[in-house]
Amino acid sequence: MAELIELVAAPLRYPFVVRALVTASIVGVVCATVGSFVVLRGTAFLGDALSHAILPGVAVGYVLGGGARGPLVLGALAAAIVAALGIGAISRRGGLKEDTAIGIVFAGMFALGIAVISSQRGYAVDLSHILFGNVLGVSRGDLALTAAAGAGIVAVVVLLYKELVLVTFDPVQAATLRLPVARLQTLLLVLTAIAIVVSLQTVGVGLMVAMLVTPAATAFLLTRRLAAMIALGAAVGALSAVAGIYVSYYADVASGAAIVLVCTAVFGVVFVAAPGRGWLWRKRGG
Amino acid sequence: MRHIIAAFLAAALGVTGAACGSPSGPAGSPGATVGTAQDGPAQAPAAPALRVVATTPLVGDVVRVVGGDRVELTVLVPAGTDPHGFEPAPRDAAAIAAADAVFMNGLGIDDYLVPLVTGSGGGARVVVLSDGITPIRLPEGGGHGEAEGTGDDHADEAHPGEGAAPDPHVWWDPANVIVWADAVEQTLAELDPAGAGTYAASAGAYRDELRTLDAWIEAQVATVPMDRRVLVTDHQVMGYFAARYGLAQVGAIVPGYSTLAEPSAGEVAALEDAVRRLGVPAIFVGQTVGPGLAQRVADDTGTRLVFVHAESLGAPGGPAATYVDMMRFNVAAIAGALAAAP
Repeated sequence: MAELIELVAAPLRYPFVVRALVTASIVGVVCATVGSFVVLRGTAFLGDALSHAILPGVAVGYVLGGGARGPLVLGALAAAIVAALGIGAISRRGGLKEDTAIGIVFAGMFALGIAVISSQRGYAVDLSHILFGNVLGVSRGDLALTAAAGAGIVAVVVLLYKELVLVTFDPVQAATLRLPVARLQTLLLVLTAIAIVVSLQTVGVGLMVAMLVTPAATAFLLTRRLAAMIALGAAVGALSAVAGIYVSYYADVASGAAIVLVCTAVFGVVFVAAPGRGWLWRKRGG
Repeated sequence: MRHIIAAFLAAALGVTGAACGSPSGPAGSPGATVGTAQDGPAQAPAAPALRVVATTPLVGDVVRVVGGDRVELTVLVPAGTDPHGFEPAPRDAAAIAAADAVFMNGLGIDDYLVPLVTGSGGGARVVVLSDGITPIRLPEGGGHGEAEGTGDDHADEAHPGEGAAPDPHVWWDPANVIVWADAVEQTLAELDPAGAGTYAASAGAYRDELRTLDAWIEAQVATVPMDRRVLVTDHQVMGYFAARYGLAQVGAIVPGYSTLAEPSAGEVAALEDAVRRLGVPAIFVGQTVGPGLAQRVADDTGTRLVFVHAESLGAPGGPAATYVDMMRFNVAAIAGALAAAP
């Protein structure tokens, strides 16, 4: 028992581990909250797209701010919101499906980012460090920003819960109830964009979609009530984040990858063994 | 049809590149001596005799010094940019296609440019400058310089799979840049025999300058007390420097040779332990790497970050615009930070 306590407590002696644990837990909760809507609306690709669409914002933020952290985050946020609004506008007005709109906007913005970077040949800092992020390098300021943005996102979801549920499950009825359907859908996109930007440092661009989708999908296998799904997803996300950082500490693997692998493993276990819906149950029933 | 021609050209060039990859031919300085008799430095031609491409600014600097006015030089990777992740543009391929010679650093740092070099067409001779240098490798070199019996465990465990990878940052030892200068001089003299005397003269003067630099660095390191000759860097860039001047490379934020690798939580924790245990006065970070994680380690352990030009020359006109200036800048910063009272 004492050994177990030591195993858990040893990494906590390092302030960077504590900051990483807190930040990653917040990210787990926030991403599962918006991710539940992403999973239910079937727009998982959106998470991947938005995390890549920030590139031009990061590049312009770098050119204007000379590498300071503030302009980079602001640039990323602006680009993500522009991408979210663009995706919303194209899919509503153009009569195109949302995934097509996502493809157009994401690739266009990513290309713009590459163009901006390649035109600035005197680049001093490799932007991949910003894009891929590192949860071990989270500063107090980053942590405060993640916490504030996360609290804001969760608060908006709680306050507008009924409206968001209706817009997600039954847009037609939402419209007959005279709810501003388009605005609420755009709001969801913007919330997702903000969640992605403040979470990027935890797992990086390449793995961002996993934080958004995997915990929420795991919860989806266990419950069909949205409130319970969000709560369960948040728990899975936060616990996977904590477990992932411990795995990174003891097994010497990159933290972002460890967090996502733990998420994926939890999903796998639930997928096989979930009561009522899991593969084992269906096998036995059928 | 065009594809076939292109493929043939690429294959032919690939063979040329392989054949000329090692600049250790029998014709060395003798050719240069013959050249001196035929050609005086006063006969500098109005038009450059050779078109030459260098992959990195450091390679370019050596070529510029040795080649002087006789060489029209194009450097692919801009100064101040991380050579590990540079994306070439079409004009770079055009420069290579028109070149008589392409000089590369080698040892992995500019390997990704090989397809560009071999695929651009044209008849350039490809010379890998570090071919004449015995590289340091991670298990033998790496963090093993510390003979103080500190038993730094994390350097040994880190990345066994990368163990065989050589350290490409050879310029941290001026003796290796002398090897580069020799190879550049020999290649230029073979391609442009009329200029051999000029190349020999400038290479000779440069070798003297590099030996002076070497002695100066030794004197600078001597000002640092023995127990403070410890190096912690953002990634493992200073292996040759540590080996040549007797410093210990205690660890690196990213325990690998590339700026693109990523550390685990355990590795960062082990590094913080080592920094505290050895009382490391400063962490040296390159200008091309985002210092976020290094800054956190410095904050947590109460040490400070010192910026050096680890990967590339600084901006033209700045304090590190040439190789020699860069080394003087770096060594002054390192010796100053290590010698300063805690």
